[in-house]
Amino acid sequence: MAFEALISSILLWFGIYTILSLSLNIEYGYGGIPNFGKALAVLVGAFTTGAIVNRILIAIYSVKAETITQASGFMKSTVDQIIASNPLYGFAILLLALLLSAFFGAIIGALYILPSAKLESDYLAITLLAIAEIMFMVTYYDTSLIGGYYGAPVPDILAFVPGEYREWFFVALVMFFAFATYLFVERTLNTPYGRVLRAMREDPTALQFAGKDVMWLRIKTLAFSSAIASMTGVLYSYYTGNVVGIVNLFARVNWTFFPFLMVLLGGMSNNRGVLAGVFSFVVIWRLIDGYKHEIAEFFHLPFDVNWLQYIIFGFLMIAILYYRPEGIIREKPIETKPMVELKTRRLEKV
Amino acid sequence: MAVLEGAVTYANLLTLLALGLTLTYITTSVPNFAQGSFAVFSSYIAYFVYQSTKITPYFSIPFAVFFGGFIGVVTYIIVLKPLIKKEASILILMIATLAWDLILLGFIGIFSESVSKLLGTYASKFIFPYYLDYKLFGIQGIFFSSTLTVILSLAILFFLLYKTKFGIAMRASMENPSLAEIMGIDVEKTRLFSWFLSGAFAGLAGALLPFKQEIVQATGQIIIVSIFAASIVGGLSTLLGAVVGGYLVGLSESLITFWLSKFFGVSILVYSKAVSLIILVATLLYIPQGLASINWRRIVWHLKH
Repeated sequence: MAFEALISSILLWFGIYTILSLSLNIEYGYGGIPNFGKALAVLVGAFTTGAIVNRILIAIYSVKAETITQASGFMKSTVDQIIASNPLYGFAILLLALLLSAFFGAIIGALYILPSAKLESDYLAITLLAIAEIMFMVTYYDTSLIGGYYGAPVPDILAFVPGEYREWFFVALVMFFAFATYLFVERTLNTPYGRVLRAMREDPTALQFAGKDVMWLRIKTLAFSSAIASMTGVLYSYYTGNVVGIVNLFARVNWTFFPFLMVLLGGMSNNRGVLAGVFSFVVIWRLIDGYKHEIAEFFHLPFDVNWLQYIIFGFLMIAILYYRPEGIIREKPIETKPMVELKTRRLEKV
Repeated sequence: MAVLEGAVTYANLLTLLALGLTLTYITTSVPNFAQGSFAVFSSYIAYFVYQSTKITPYFSIPFAVFFGGFIGVVTYIIVLKPLIKKEASILILMIATLAWDLILLGFIGIFSESVSKLLGTYASKFIFPYYLDYKLFGIQGIFFSSTLTVILSLAILFFLLYKTKFGIAMRASMENPSLAEIMGIDVEKTRLFSWFLSGAFAGLAGALLPFKQEIVQATGQIIIVSIFAASIVGGLSTLLGAVVGGYLVGLSESLITFWLSKFFGVSILVYSKAVSLIILVATLLYIPQGLASINWRRIVWHLKH
């Protein structure tokens, strides 16, 4: 059983982090935008589920309660019963949340990158990090928005599935979205758009001389990638049944630092590399997490193994930056049609 | 009055932290995301020293200062120097300081939980309660201590930079590292010393911070935004800017939210950090070089004519 739980958690996180890291790869790997506030897009997803979809449902069932946390709790018990007998209702809620969060994610992403009109590299990175941190702080300490540190329960969209299968159902759901995202992102980046992004990373000034509007390109990119990343906020909130998994003070570690680690580990600007990075990271991470009690007992550690994890992953990051900045799988030139033709012609000659 | 007292104390500590951040930015050109954790780790050291000696929290200041300086030096030697030698870009260096911040968070967690077990008290969250502090003219001692600390630190820093030979070497390597190297100055040594000083300032702030607010393991992550705001408002390239920025951001964070709470109720107080964000973004967009870059004499001249 424990082993089964380990596998399901690896697959679940593999799916969730695949979506998030692919989105970061568009921004940082391809576009060279140092989005140190990646977590903000995830927060948009959590906000959509906890603050917007929850409020819509609360209004529909006219639940009365003092706080959003309480009201969400009451609403959840009503909605869960309906979903238990009508699975389509659960999927409808999920779809609504995903669409709304993609919409808000795109808007917030577009607004959030506006400072890049005047700032670049380190100043831009600091600003983006600051914006995301403050948004997290506000949603965490102001309990009237999405419950803050009390959290806000969200309906169990899989209430119709018997308890013991729920985990695997959710894994399948997340994997489906991750796979769809992979195909979608792979297609989108194998176009002139993907090549323009790489050009922006290498030399924005030269790109401007080529007649491209770099600012508009950045806005489009952030809108696109944040819409994708906000899906993870929705999926994870519905998986845990509460938004506190995202709205907390350790958000920067889980939703910004880890994605950067995975993208750099796998190899920037190459989607298969990102998959490799996500998979290697998630396996190590879940193994440590799954056996943390055993590790603590074995070494007689007087503290939580989570802290040790931070140290391990921090050093892993520094080691990657130092020894293998190109990652597991190196970046390759995009194979355009003329390039493929040229190659085959050369082969024919030989 | 109590509000102003708290605001000045906070601004004093923020100034110390911003001073450290600016110092290393000038010498190494790396915005150090771990500056907040330098301070918080030192806070835990101070708490540990206080709990084991039970004299007064002020007694633990030297320990915290040396510990902070030690972390600063370690940061430069293990994390940044190897990467700088490989000519890593500034973004890579920033990611490295983020990683280092996470490592420090891990060590802070381990230290605090081990101390809890060792001393049999709950050490993950703590403050230095008011009765541990002295009182003067009915005002909490931390107000005077922190003010005095800033004055002394600035005096030492300026004496060091302007009156000693090493300080001249240090200023030269801040202005133009390659030229300084040609003149026979060991730039590595001055850099290393700047990291020690930066860590020591953070350690000093960290030792006093628990008088002002509750310390949790993630406090460093929270306070870092204010530190950056303070350094950037003043202009990341001058030490004077850090002082101006520290007071501007520190005071406005507390006073503006307090003033707003009269209209919107106390729930607005959680938005205090949003003030520093707004100041940060506004400065970056309108005066990206910071307040220190403004030519005040010209503005005064324009106003007169």
